[in-house]
Amino acid sequence: MAKRITIDPITRLEGHGKIEIFLNNKGNVEKAFLQVPELRGFEKFSEGRMAEEMPRITPKICGVCPTTHHMASGKALDDLFHVTPPSPAKKIRELINSAFMAEDHTLHFFFLGGPDFVVGPQAPAGERNILGVIQKVGLDAGKKVIDIRKRLRNIITKQGGRVIHPVCNLPGGVSKGVTKEDREEYIQTGKDAVEFSKFALKAFEDIVLKNKEYVDVIVGDIYKHSTYYMGLVDENNKVNFYDGDIRVVDPEGMEFAKFKSREYLNHIAEHVEPWSYIKFPFLKGVGWKGFVDGKDSGVYRVAPLARLNASDGMATPLAQVEYEKMYDILGGKPAHNTLAYHWARLVELLYAAERLLELAQDEEILDPNVRNIPTAVPDEGIGVVEAPRGTLYHHYKTDGNGVLTDVNLIVATVNNAASICMSIEKAAKGLIKEGKVSEGLLNMVEMAFRAYDPCLACATHSLPGHMPLEVSIRDHEANIIETIRRQ
Amino acid sequence: MKTLILGVGNPILTDDSVGICVANEIEKFSLPNVEVIETSLAGISLLDYVVEYERLIIIDSIKTEKEIPGTLYKLKLEDIGTSSATSYSHGMNIRTAIELGRKLGYKIPEIIEIYAIEIEDNTTFGEECTPAVKRKIPGIVDEITKIIKSDSAPS
Repeated sequence: MAKRITIDPITRLEGHGKIEIFLNNKGNVEKAFLQVPELRGFEKFSEGRMAEEMPRITPKICGVCPTTHHMASGKALDDLFHVTPPSPAKKIRELINSAFMAEDHTLHFFFLGGPDFVVGPQAPAGERNILGVIQKVGLDAGKKVIDIRKRLRNIITKQGGRVIHPVCNLPGGVSKGVTKEDREEYIQTGKDAVEFSKFALKAFEDIVLKNKEYVDVIVGDIYKHSTYYMGLVDENNKVNFYDGDIRVVDPEGMEFAKFKSREYLNHIAEHVEPWSYIKFPFLKGVGWKGFVDGKDSGVYRVAPLARLNASDGMATPLAQVEYEKMYDILGGKPAHNTLAYHWARLVELLYAAERLLELAQDEEILDPNVRNIPTAVPDEGIGVVEAPRGTLYHHYKTDGNGVLTDVNLIVATVNNAASICMSIEKAAKGLIKEGKVSEGLLNMVEMAFRAYDPCLACATHSLPGHMPLEVSIRDHEANIIETIRRQ
Repeated sequence: MKTLILGVGNPILTDDSVGICVANEIEKFSLPNVEVIETSLAGISLLDYVVEYERLIIIDSIKTEKEIPGTLYKLKLEDIGTSSATSYSHGMNIRTAIELGRKLGYKIPEIIEIYAIEIEDNTTFGEECTPAVKRKIPGIVDEITKIIKSDSAPS
């Protein structure tokens, strides 16, 4: 008798998803995968509009990472209109993006992924949340988190021109420069963000790294996948969130490809499965071999750990020290441990804070020359940035008047879609034996998922707030034979 | 009473925008001591807005699929599920955010009301609500406005 276990909805995630776990007649896991609701009609919604609208529309796709959509869209418009922004404009964009990355990584560590470790993977579900974290790290720490996030958001609001959905990016630059007064504030926020990042790394060290049980979980085999890794790098192959080339390393850490945004379609293709609305991107140069690990499989990963694996280091000094420390403890590069995404996220938090401070301290940021007016006829443009959840691609085509004829986006999480399914399946296989399923075990399965900080269909905001987590175990005729409900 | 109305939703996802539409209509009445903010954020990010107000009114969409689209529910904070057992966008619901705010000593509104509107479609991109929801909006605006006015009236 085959059983099906459904984890629906997944808790503490960006958006709504459902994990399906199928058991065989012995009660062991046969297959597990992720399903997400489909959002329909974005291309149709966009086509026929003026391309300049895209930086204002695309951030609304997602209530979680609007800023990075705004950045990718702004860069796609530069390319579309064949115009290069002046250096101060580029720095202002990167400043805003750095503030966003720092803010979002903070949120994930303390609110979404952190509770698994800070409170403990086996702790009761009701305690595995931010209130549980505060209980453990103290009220003052909670205030620090709220305060730094608010101040980082303030930079985005001031420079972005609007709360939540920024509107500052225009083809060829940004709509406003930085005032002297605001710059002083940004410098102070940058300094405090660096200190905050150190505090977060220290908390991770004290609570997680000094706990052998947690370290064993991180380096354990059930959370390990040997894949390719992708991320943006600068001219020295250091991690960059805003600009650079896209670099891919193989499972042994050797450079497999390095390419410009415009070449992405030569390197990435998408595989389709009948059971999912998500298309699964893979490396064309390797080919799709299924949901499997290894050098012969075109599955690649993005986001914090992938970015660090795909680079030769961090471009700022303190983050570089933490980068080296992480790989020392994990046993070298590349690290294939999915749960180390949490750690890599904190290294990136420090980098984002240091980079924010560097940019705020740069005199050029006050230069009022923040836009080059485009004069060329628009045709096609591609913009690529690093979102908190991975490499984000925006690709637009227009007619000669700038009216959109074709839109293609590869959103960050989608790059990780195949590996997320693989991670869930491996964790489920390792943890669920002979039909024995407890809430603690299910949380351990979900942890594989949460490490990626996935953002799926996160554009919807309807209230399912009272919906508890339900796990249904079904027989082969889909009859529910057992329901586990989390309180 | 210093009141904040939060219209929550995604403005380009068909019925998901209904909370924002209703809030924007209420804003047109320029009610005394009432401020209206539209937001696509949820959970913890809402904390940034709600501190220092005495009364908070949240208007959002809901999909129970048990009532017809356009049905208005009046909920209390307690009606929203407990913290970790929800799927609220960005991982944390407003109840947890409020609890956190109180715990950390922020001045959180003492009165919190949630109005949720049953919707039909929140998975198709579009700037307008479905007809079934759209035609209920004026009635919902009237109903919520009346409640706000009567509750605010000096006794």
